Amino acid sequence: MSRNTTFSLMLAISTGYLVLLVGWPVVYNFILSFQDVTIRNLGNFNRPFVGTAHYEALLANPLFPKVVSNTFFFVVGNVIVQFTLGLGVALLFHKKFPAAKYMRGLILAGWILPPMVVGALWKWMFATEFGVVNHLGVSTGAFAEKIYWLSDPSNALFAVTASNIWFGLPFNFILLLAGLSSIPEDLYEAAELDGAGPFARFWFVTLPLLKPTMLAVLCLGIVYTMRAFDLIWAMTKGGPVDSTLILPMWSYKLSFEFFRFGEGAAVASMSLIVVTVVALVYVRVIRSEYQA
Amino acid sequence: MNRSLAPMLSLAALALVALYLFPIYWMYISSLKLSGEIFAQPPTFIPDNPSLDAFRWIFERENMGRYIRNSLIIAVGTTFLTLVLGSVGAYALARLRSFWVDAALVFILLAQAFPEALLATPMFVIFREFGLLNTMLAVILATTTKTLAFALIILRPTFLQVPRALEEAAEVDGCTPFTAFFFVTLPVARTGLIVMAALAFIMAYGEFVYPSTLLTNGNLQPATVGLYAFVGAEYADWHNVMAFAAVFSTPVVILFVLLQRSIVSGLTAGAVK
Repeated sequence: MSRNTTFSLMLAISTGYLVLLVGWPVVYNFILSFQDVTIRNLGNFNRPFVGTAHYEALLANPLFPKVVSNTFFFVVGNVIVQFTLGLGVALLFHKKFPAAKYMRGLILAGWILPPMVVGALWKWMFATEFGVVNHLGVSTGAFAEKIYWLSDPSNALFAVTASNIWFGLPFNFILLLAGLSSIPEDLYEAAELDGAGPFARFWFVTLPLLKPTMLAVLCLGIVYTMRAFDLIWAMTKGGPVDSTLILPMWSYKLSFEFFRFGEGAAVASMSLIVVTVVALVYVRVIRSEYQA
Repeated sequence: MNRSLAPMLSLAALALVALYLFPIYWMYISSLKLSGEIFAQPPTFIPDNPSLDAFRWIFERENMGRYIRNSLIIAVGTTFLTLVLGSVGAYALARLRSFWVDAALVFILLAQAFPEALLATPMFVIFREFGLLNTMLAVILATTTKTLAFALIILRPTFLQVPRALEEAAEVDGCTPFTAFFFVTLPVARTGLIVMAALAFIMAYGEFVYPSTLLTNGNLQPATVGLYAFVGAEYADWHNVMAFAAVFSTPVVILFVLLQRSIVSGLTAGAVK
């Protein structure tokens, strides 16, 4: 077999697997969203076509704007804070000091934990009566009294977001640090010779050259945050009163708890469109860096 | 670099790392507390009477051993399948140049981006059609979609760095393109493959959505689902929960400690290029 044939076959096997088990489910989802599917006809294919009824029902559902705003707050909050803190810590670790290399790997320990474990852990830490967050908050004077983190609808989203920030921070940190390390040292030296102080060097050398990495990290951040499920499920299961329900979770609940598969599929399709747009932006960003 | 500043930076960095890792410390010490101490006011930062009671409990009463075994089955199965499909695919992606390769790369990135919760329903229906519900195989196949997409992205730069000259030399010596890949390229790419296997293992080990959706048989459930059952109910014995979490996390933590450096470089090479 020629090289090209061999390689094409190899590519086809791997990509084919993904087409079958990811591409097909996505298409199937899309089709499902236009059908009336219940637990009874899920097995056979006798499903009445209902057009855009599910989508219309969703847009009219009072829960819809709430879920969208939860998702927006959760994603934007996560991405901005993870990015900013990640950049700050990366800038620190970019400097040379004893044990820097050793310590920077340690930070990744949070990210490799199963998200379910992270959710369980933070659920314990945010426990109202005996949790350590309330204890530290009250004893340092940060809070006046113990806060009902996970049982109060106005606080739960904040707690869940904070936990996910802790979880995702190392990933941002590592990628930004790698980006910083790829900026050549001589540029900084040249700038210093020209009289630039530390802030000017950051603004005129670091930021412009870090831009592709920053864009990539932001896109990946949005995509990975949209995938959050286990952590929130463990902490609040979307509650209380749907205050921590985000789009992908709502789709799952509609399908597997209320057995309204058609509506679950409709929410899923909408979420997939959002994720696809961001992923395509990410591809664009990587491409332009590749060609540059 | 100002010499006197360096140790201060070390201290600052150390403080940050300690602050960040505090929750993990909290998990471990909570698991060592006795039932009474877990509800002490104020909470103790060092256990008064460190005890292994919680660990005894989870193994005797909560089937920890069975849960871990199931998690390992899923993790090992997924890692193996991902290694095979991932190395083959990433190698092809590194060596071929065509429109199809570009299209495939975009597709793979998209596949990586899709939340599992959204793919759960169609996966459920598909596996049901094939009579594969309630099997480990279904969970392994489903989880591999997640790890494979990631593996293809992470491994491609590794194979790009292997010089073609090696394969060409092998072919001169009588290898076919595939045997050259298998006997020459793969050993050279060893480190990258190990990193990818470790990351795939970590991802599969922590998988929750697919086992939860595709398995209803309690005996097959992995530890993620077991932990959720613990936490989802209004269970108050947090020292048991933390012991469960601690034992469950420990294989992954050990793996991480051993391969930390390589994991870091593997991640950075793949994601931003």
